[in-house]
Amino acid sequence: MRESIAMKLTQSLTFKAFSEPVAKNNPVFIQSLGICSALAVTVQLNTAIVMALAMTFVTAFSSLTISAMRNVIPRNVRMIVELSVIASLVILADEVLRAFFYDISKQLSVFVGLIITNCIVMGRAETYALGNPPVQSFMDGLGNGAGYGLVLVTVAFIRELFGAGKLFGFSVVPQALYDHGYMNMGFMQLAPAAFIIIGLLVWLQKSLMKS
Amino acid sequence: MSDQLKSIAFTVAIALVCSLLLTGAATGLKERKMRNVAVDRQKNILKAVGLLDSDQPATVVQIERLYQETIRCYAMDGAGRIVGGDSDAIPVCFYVKDSQPAAYILPVDSRGLWGKIRGYMAIEKDGKTVAGFSVYSHNETPGLGGEIEKPWFQENFVGKRIVDEAGSFAAVGIAKGKVADAITADRQANYVDGISGATLTGKYLTGGLKEVLLDYEPLSKQFRSGPVSLPAGS
Repeated sequence: MRESIAMKLTQSLTFKAFSEPVAKNNPVFIQSLGICSALAVTVQLNTAIVMALAMTFVTAFSSLTISAMRNVIPRNVRMIVELSVIASLVILADEVLRAFFYDISKQLSVFVGLIITNCIVMGRAETYALGNPPVQSFMDGLGNGAGYGLVLVTVAFIRELFGAGKLFGFSVVPQALYDHGYMNMGFMQLAPAAFIIIGLLVWLQKSLMKS
Repeated sequence: MSDQLKSIAFTVAIALVCSLLLTGAATGLKERKMRNVAVDRQKNILKAVGLLDSDQPATVVQIERLYQETIRCYAMDGAGRIVGGDSDAIPVCFYVKDSQPAAYILPVDSRGLWGKIRGYMAIEKDGKTVAGFSVYSHNETPGLGGEIEKPWFQENFVGKRIVDEAGSFAAVGIAKGKVADAITADRQANYVDGISGATLTGKYLTGGLKEVLLDYEPLSKQFRSGPVSLPAGS
């Protein structure tokens, strides 16, 4: 009995709307969207997680709002409406970060504002939210945000660990290792390192999907 | 209603709703945001005089209290006199200990490689020795020029001199490489170790620091010639 409920759940459209973009149709890996911010904010885990949360909030609620209005939005101004909704949510997220997480918002600088131009958000609004009911669109937004966030956090984990010997700002590489000549990879702190890591992750994901 | 009119009406309605929402959020959070900016400034001033360790996170309330107790800010005219809100006056803060200035703090606004470097430099009450240096905003390359925000780089400034051995103004700069190799023995007190791979950041910051220290040289001279008393009130 329990199994069949679980089966039903995992096969429901709502769940699929969430799970597909996390793994099988990941926006960063498969569609190569949102890479610019994935390079910039992944030097530390803290900033990557906050960025992922802000992004998930924006995609989920913009998809929900736009889907709820999809039958009344005049076709010729739909892009303007989508952008107004997305921009408002991004500014809202930025304001909240500035008020409550000032240090992190300082490190993220312009990148929260640049969520507006992140193709994932607009892409989901255009291709999914305009044609699907609100709950499914919300889940789709959530899934895309989570898929993006997963990549961000993975890249940040690798970059912070090897670039600074830290995780969440706490040193994890033991001093004894440094005493024996171990050194942090300064390259990991630079943007090209994120490119290389994302490239390797895409390779890994493609070969996993094949088998 | 024609389609065109409908589209325009819909867009206007959306714009109105969005702007109302954002105005509400911005107004509601304004006070908190202003406080954050002020506390960030205070934190960096405290760091410059060494009252705040960058490894130990302090709460907003702690920072505000410490700042209130120890730092007094004034304006200074070109001759180094402490004045009120004059138009050509430049800001200067003091670290006050037993109601006497123990150090004075200068805002640093320097050119960097990719953008402005902003921070604070504190000088001891002898008018010669650097008490500390902190950076609160910059656009330098992470891992290279970006190291200027790291404690290891900033700690090197502590104890350096802004005057040469004869006692005349020399400023403090960033060496190209290690001080011990790159600088002659009589000038080593005026330089800190450079950052490898960030020669230009060092060069610009050296220039910026010299400019700032020159601006405040009249005040430094007063400190060198004897104790400076603070005006009454704050």
